[in-house]
Amino acid sequence: MEAFWMVLISCVIGTVISSVISCLPGLHIYNVMGAMVLGLLALETGGTMVPPEIFVPMMIGMVVGWAMLNTIPAVLLGAPDESAMFTVLPGQKYLLSGRGYEGTMITAVGGLAGAFFIIFVLGPFAPKYLPVAQEVLKGHMHWILWVIITFILMSEWPKGGNRGPAGWAKFYDAWKTLLAGLATFFLAGLLGFIILTRSPVDHEVAFQNIMPAFVGLFAIPWCLLNMISAADVPKQRVVKGLEVDGDLILRSVWSGGLGGGLAAYLPAVTGGVGGLLAGHATAQRDERIFIMGQGVSKFVYYVGSFMLLFVPGLGLTRGGGAWMMKTLYVPTTYSDYYLALGSIAIASAVAYLMMSPLARMVLWFIDRFNYRHVSTFALVIIIVMVLAVTGWVGMFIAVVSTGIGLLPVLFGSRRLNCLGILLLPMACNMAGFGEVITRWLRLT
Amino acid sequence: MKGFTHFMSGVAVASFGPWAIDAALAGNPIFFILGGACGILPDTLDFKFYRFFYHHDVYVEPDPANLDPQIVADEIARAVAMAHDENRYINLKLSSVRLGADHWQQYNVTFDNEKKEVVVTFGPVVNTGQVPIPGTEDLTTGVGRAPIKSRVIQTYDAALKVDIFDGPTIGLKPLGNEEGDLDLEFLPWHREWSHSLTMGAFLGLLWMIGAMLWAGLPVLEGLTGWKAILGGLFTHYSVAWQGFITIAACYGIHVIEDQLGHMGSNIFYPFTKNRTPGLQWMHSGDGLPNFLTVWISCILIFWNLHRAIPEPTYHFSLLHLLMVALIIPGLIMGALHWLFTRGTRVDAIVDTTDDEWSASKAG
Repeated sequence: MEAFWMVLISCVIGTVISSVISCLPGLHIYNVMGAMVLGLLALETGGTMVPPEIFVPMMIGMVVGWAMLNTIPAVLLGAPDESAMFTVLPGQKYLLSGRGYEGTMITAVGGLAGAFFIIFVLGPFAPKYLPVAQEVLKGHMHWILWVIITFILMSEWPKGGNRGPAGWAKFYDAWKTLLAGLATFFLAGLLGFIILTRSPVDHEVAFQNIMPAFVGLFAIPWCLLNMISAADVPKQRVVKGLEVDGDLILRSVWSGGLGGGLAAYLPAVTGGVGGLLAGHATAQRDERIFIMGQGVSKFVYYVGSFMLLFVPGLGLTRGGGAWMMKTLYVPTTYSDYYLALGSIAIASAVAYLMMSPLARMVLWFIDRFNYRHVSTFALVIIIVMVLAVTGWVGMFIAVVSTGIGLLPVLFGSRRLNCLGILLLPMACNMAGFGEVITRWLRLT
Repeated sequence: MKGFTHFMSGVAVASFGPWAIDAALAGNPIFFILGGACGILPDTLDFKFYRFFYHHDVYVEPDPANLDPQIVADEIARAVAMAHDENRYINLKLSSVRLGADHWQQYNVTFDNEKKEVVVTFGPVVNTGQVPIPGTEDLTTGVGRAPIKSRVIQTYDAALKVDIFDGPTIGLKPLGNEEGDLDLEFLPWHREWSHSLTMGAFLGLLWMIGAMLWAGLPVLEGLTGWKAILGGLFTHYSVAWQGFITIAACYGIHVIEDQLGHMGSNIFYPFTKNRTPGLQWMHSGDGLPNFLTVWISCILIFWNLHRAIPEPTYHFSLLHLLMVALIIPGLIMGALHWLFTRGTRVDAIVDTTDDEWSASKAG
């Protein structure tokens, strides 16, 4: 078969698989890619070599499909992964006003705009300018992380202390949420040190060691919250057109591209953090820009970080997908780069076309079943996933992290603080004193 | 300006200190953290600490079970009468009305100086995202009107809209004119002592004293001449004076940036007693100036880091960097924006609500 058809078919297959998987809450595409990598390595050991023209486009298709369509469970089922948490708030607002379909499709437009941004803006300029940025910034990543942590912790404002006379009682009432936020950040950070230093998860699934923690921090509390307090979801309308124009898309790309780009480039900075920073930086107030911008941000974060591996002369590995790819194949040439860009273009088109039917299917599901039952179903899938991949040890980690993840839900503080699980250990390690802390914790 | 803008400006100012980059390359991020933290610190002091201890003379706390705009109007009129009769500064607190876990009653206060009355209207119930709940627009009807003894002059154009989380404070200050007018000061606890260059210098001084105590006494044996001794002192107490400069400068940039807006700051507290009005070039929540400041800060940080590389592989000037990272992309964005919006007339939606106040509630 000609290389062109091999690339096209494997890219489409990867996109379709991930598009369907994206609709299942709790299942991350990196879990599936991990299993695929293990399978390919097993084949290689057995003497069967799968050419990169097959698995490279397929993995790109998987990442693209996930980046575009994971919005469906995030908005419609309320079970977001971390990078979607900013989409969820206004997205759920759309859901509760019967416009869930519109919300997901606006995000999909954002995803497609993100694809254009990657292919036509980042694509031509990345090989020229990213190595320059890398040379300048390479020794400075640790303080950039510390500065981001400082901003996350300092930029949360009190939500209580609204009534009553001035004094300590009012101050304490106001600071309850902030203290809960700080506690969440540092507890998550502590958990991160344990998991990243001495993971109790079986070494055979070591690449999934952070998964149960993420599920516990983000997805399970959300499902529990929905099950306990979910309002009745009104009947959802399927509209034929979206109230978006070129200027709206342009401003979304501006905001989302910045956030997603930051998250893709900086280590340990996820899509959620990138979205927060870009939201603050661009000060956009239009809700549609916010939702679409998060679509752009999520796409640029996942796909952009994967693409960095392919940029000639850069040699940068960011994100779980890229690390998995690196175990199979290390791209070095411009032809690899163009293959990646072409695959992104094909996969984006396929994923966008799949958005509408899959969103309608999930809406039908929500319409037919009680939303609380849907959330319970989502929770069951998540628990089964954790058990299947990481066993009871992973389940224990998920339970512990659920306890931490419930803190912001109960106290009304920022859920972003849960990202202490990555940010704190990474920042300490990169600054060179991570080992001091792990020794102090008796982990090393 | 918004918190993130101040924060990034602080980091950018810190990056101008060669010691900050040297320390960072040695694994010590402290000066950059100090830069960002001090950049946002004036607002932190106000919004997270001071406002909870700020004394109010009159608290308007509408009863959620008996929402009556007339009661609110009467209380505000009473505060105005107090300021007029007692000829003193009166702090009036307009408390928010929480109706449920995620529901808040919105209300608006307007001073009609022509008729010399205060007008209070209840708006819709809003959620914590400040989005009206459909069907609640006319839930609480009626308008509260109460005569006021003095005209209330509003020089700062913040609308007195109360909805989520904390309600605003307004200060009623007798102007001392024959008419007995009162000046309305929005959020009198904000941009007071905390937003002063002197406060930044004071905090820097505290750091310096702490760092000098930490460093202990210097060993100056063998140094002769005042230049050598001075050099020895500077080296021994380097963290102290470098921290002082970083804190004072990064704190100061916040005060300077805020002067570009409307409210202004009390720049040399305690030597000055009142806020110096801002230049009114922008509102603190305007998207473009905030983004430009953040982006230019990033460019300056990048430039300073590049300058610190001893033998760079890539050579470029600041002008080249500005062209590539700011001017050309800006022109392209501007052209695309023009292309997408040409022929359409965009009516500016003027939200006069104070942006920093709103941002503090959204954060």
